[in-house]
Amino acid sequence: MVKIVVGPQHPALKEPERFLLETEGEYVKNVRVRIGYIHRGIEKAMENRTYIQNLYLAERICGICSDAHTTCYVQAVEELLGVEPPPRAKFIRVITAELERIHSHMLWLGVAAHEIGFDTLFMYVWRDREIVMDLLELISGNRVNYAMNTIGGVRRDLNSEHVDKILKGLNVLEARTKEYIKMIEKEPSVLKRTVDVGILSKADAIKYGAVGPTARASGVKRDVRADDPYAAYDETPFNVITSDGCDCFARIIVRAEEILESINITREALKKLPDGEIKIRVKPRIPPAEALSRVEAPRGELMHYARSNGTDKPERYKVRTPTLANIPALCKMLVGGYIADVPIVLAGIDPCFACMDRVLIVDHEKKKSEVWDLEKLRRYGREWYSKR
Amino acid sequence: MSREEEFVKKLEERFGRRVRDPRIQRARRIFVEIDGKDLREVLTYVKNELGFDHISAITGLDVGEDIELIYHVAYENSIELSIKTKVSKKDPRIDTVADIYDPAGIYEREVHDLLGVVFEGNPDLSPLLLPDDWPSGVYPLRKDKSFEELRELVEKSGVSGK
Repeated sequence: MVKIVVGPQHPALKEPERFLLETEGEYVKNVRVRIGYIHRGIEKAMENRTYIQNLYLAERICGICSDAHTTCYVQAVEELLGVEPPPRAKFIRVITAELERIHSHMLWLGVAAHEIGFDTLFMYVWRDREIVMDLLELISGNRVNYAMNTIGGVRRDLNSEHVDKILKGLNVLEARTKEYIKMIEKEPSVLKRTVDVGILSKADAIKYGAVGPTARASGVKRDVRADDPYAAYDETPFNVITSDGCDCFARIIVRAEEILESINITREALKKLPDGEIKIRVKPRIPPAEALSRVEAPRGELMHYARSNGTDKPERYKVRTPTLANIPALCKMLVGGYIADVPIVLAGIDPCFACMDRVLIVDHEKKKSEVWDLEKLRRYGREWYSKR
Repeated sequence: MSREEEFVKKLEERFGRRVRDPRIQRARRIFVEIDGKDLREVLTYVKNELGFDHISAITGLDVGEDIELIYHVAYENSIELSIKTKVSKKDPRIDTVADIYDPAGIYEREVHDLLGVVFEGNPDLSPLLLPDDWPSGVYPLRKDKSFEELRELVEKSGVSGK
């Protein structure tokens, strides 16, 4: 029996994890998980800052889906206050969220391609992702950490020039995404590395609490935008994309098709965008109350819980990110699979980067240990597959 | 009768006054309070009989003498039922629910790390978020430790985050 430690990951990427893999031959027999390598104590820090200051902290919980976190945050605080943002603000929240989902899913698609050694696709996707990054910069002024949300609405309005440019950009993205889907469905190097890899059955997806595209790729039709609508999602109907594949291939297809769905939602929101104010003024002090806020982040169900105590600072603020929710399901997927499939299966839940920075191989028979980096594990995977 | 009201009614019929202060805060948000000794019975019931098949999170809060625990469970990814209970800070113990909701295991580890609640029966309460060499008896989310004190502790004790 050989024990392999995967991770902890590079601290520059968020949510690093360490997986201790117990292996027999080429098979993974058991997985133990340890996270927290960049635990920053944000929940504690939020108790010491005002609700407005906490907007900036919430923005920085995640570098990829920062808008999902601020949306969840402002919704929680608005519920504590008992206020509703103006309709136009709700639509702008939807537009920003969907542009963010497009960028996040494209980023992931590139990473997944890289993990299986298909770097051509990686380059294409990341080139085209620049289109949506430019759109986000256009409307928010920032490529990341958009700072669009504020308590009681949004900080920036959209003008007709923005709308035109977004619509043009979406047309290009739509054509490109359709092209990728065609390419992925036929490309043998993708199919060989992802079909029947990292299996998570529908029953297990529910049992282990999987969320987001990970759950939907196992046939679980759940999406907070549809099931627990917030912002203006009840006015921008969309299809919840699912697949019965239950493998890494299904996770690729679900996310790729979700990009198309996000494009449709954004178009619909731009078409219905109501006139009017984009924010309301709110009081800094919040009477004792509690609120549970949920958002469908690009990676799945994001949950914030807030409790106020009458001051301008929260009594307690709790954040549960989708990656944490997907870890029990991820462990289930890894067990019984090949060591060579670990990178793509890890990447399959989109744990923001799935970057295994350091891999410690412990060979109990030879009583020696060796540190592998991600590149070595990746190479091992590719070479192992090329010999089959 | 809304689905939320139906769920509250069913909980009251089944558990009587053991379910306290049921509150439908808004559409799809229910809050109730129970005693720690009833936790497993209530969670088993809401999961198996009412269809709350997903646990979203377990929130822990320092409320003075006690630690409050909130189990957030979801019905069809739509209605969130938050079940609150309290454990004494002097001896913060409660039964695990990891055998009822699988993912609860990892959420219990998180609360164990940050608030020092022992979940009896959880097979793995090893550190999840805090460093391996974190001083014992220091629980970051308890109110007796300020953010500044924690930062000092990290810097002085050479807690390396490894």
